[in-house]
Amino acid sequence: MKIVASTKLTRAQRGMTESRKYGETSNEVYASAETKAAEVEGKKKLIIVCSSDKGLCGGIHSGLSRYIRREAVSNPNFDLVILGEKCRSQLSRTNARNIVLNFAGVGKDVPTFADAQAIADQVVQLSGDYSEVEIIYNKFINATSYEPSTIAAFSEETFLASPNYSSFEVEEEVLPNLREYSLANSLFWALSEGHACEISARRNAMDNASKNAGEMINKYQILFNRTRQAVITGELVEIITGATASEDM
Amino acid sequence: MTFAWKQAGLTYNRYLAVAARVVRRSLKEDKRLAAERRGDVDLRFAKWTNGKQGDMQNVADANAAAYVEKANAPSS
Repeated sequence: MKIVASTKLTRAQRGMTESRKYGETSNEVYASAETKAAEVEGKKKLIIVCSSDKGLCGGIHSGLSRYIRREAVSNPNFDLVILGEKCRSQLSRTNARNIVLNFAGVGKDVPTFADAQAIADQVVQLSGDYSEVEIIYNKFINATSYEPSTIAAFSEETFLASPNYSSFEVEEEVLPNLREYSLANSLFWALSEGHACEISARRNAMDNASKNAGEMINKYQILFNRTRQAVITGELVEIITGATASEDM
Repeated sequence: MTFAWKQAGLTYNRYLAVAARVVRRSLKEDKRLAAERRGDVDLRFAKWTNGKQGDMQNVADANAAAYVEKANAPSS
């Protein structure tokens, strides 16, 4: 199982490095425009959680859920969009009222940009008026460690209000397009990075599982050998006894 | 600036996806099969209201329905 997961991990990591470039490049626009998330009172935040459908990979899903629950205590005014079944079942127990959308079928394979686009289209159609969109995903640090982090996606108004907006000289009509596209980019980045984390965590989990099973196998092997020995000894004793008995006759 | 695809109710992402599909389909046979798999979307989703999960729907179908609805709506 570890070998299977290892091969998957190389593929997932390659996907992650590529998608990271997409995400970083698309966020460059906001960085050079010096866009800051607007602190608007009374407006809800939209949080997109990037988990996946499959378990057996250690604590990466519950890490995300814990992050959300912590967030919920300090700032409860938000809506949740959940990608993946695992976080859905965890968060539906505590934060069911915040959930507005959930997606299933995420993370079967390396995420594609088409997936990210389809999700972004659904998210854009949400009726709520959100001050900002935050994407929460597992940041890949190395093969054994990862931590929940966020990518911010901005609305048109915040981009319009950013201090360096005038240097871009774009018409206002294209801004919704930019928003949709950068949301898809960020989602793609978050999904791929989350996927790589999941696979690496699963590799470790499988490694541990094999190790634990190894101990068990050793124990049972010894037990089996002892029993076999006992059975053989018993049979030998019977045969010899029989032979000696028939010799005397 | 108005775009033809915007009037047809498509979002920018959908517009990109269609363009990408056209490029993939024009590839040579061996490359095309691998590339077309990258364009497949097999997601399902559900809307939640008041802490209750709604019915699962296919994302691709729901998106298509939304485009049609937007295209039929009077353009402002």
